[in-house]
Amino acid sequence: MPDNWGYVFSAYGLAAVVLLWYWRRLAGRAKSLAGRGERQGR
Amino acid sequence: MAARALGWLAVLALIAGLGAAFGYAPREAVQGNVQRIMYLHVPAVLTAYLAFALVFLGSVGYLLTRRAGWDRLALAAAEPGVLFTGITIASGSIWGKPTWGTWWTWDARLTSTAVLFLVYVGYLLLRGMVDEPDRRARAAAVVGILGAANIPIVHFSVKWWRALHQPSTILGPEPSPIATPIAATLLINWIAFTLLFAYLLAERMEIARLEDTHAG
Repeated sequence: MPDNWGYVFSAYGLAAVVLLWYWRRLAGRAKSLAGRGERQGR
Repeated sequence: MAARALGWLAVLALIAGLGAAFGYAPREAVQGNVQRIMYLHVPAVLTAYLAFALVFLGSVGYLLTRRAGWDRLALAAAEPGVLFTGITIASGSIWGKPTWGTWWTWDARLTSTAVLFLVYVGYLLLRGMVDEPDRRARAAAVVGILGAANIPIVHFSVKWWRALHQPSTILGPEPSPIATPIAATLLINWIAFTLLFAYLLAERMEIARLEDTHAG
């Protein structure tokens, strides 16, 4: 059976992109909520 | 602070998992290197099971106690659960093309996993459609409980119906026939994905708590 490295790297690459996207989304949301909290605290 | 430590632990475990998947695990004799996708596919689905079990727990907890913390747990588990199910489906499809000759087939395991994905996408959409917190949490809890019924259907579908997908080789009733280096690599990646999930869960729960504080 051929090795099909292209398929292997596509699968891992796609998973990395999805997980990084979600992590950045969470980080952005946490930052915006923290900023809102600081403004309300003033 | 604990969540950040968990995050770094997850990163280290993921690096170890990648090292094991590409450096330690041998080339599989029949499938070749494409089998290395299994070190992503199998831990992803096991993590999705864990996430949806927590959605079930949070949903039952909310209906019994009406405490917002249970609802936050369910929400925080559902989002990464959907992501890990999506990764399961996509990686399985990418593996299927060179191995089965097709990206997709309406096999019992694949179809029930797609239904699982759609149920929890619906769960998240439902949460976005209801503004009143208690009504939203109650409606979501009902879907979270009913959706969990699909988990055993997904897992046992390969036993209950004639399927192209192979039977369970781990979490099955018989001892696993997997060679030690392959089993060890799966275990390392399973631990890494569980740590990553725990980190995402902790971060999402904290965000949900802050959202609730700002909302009211």
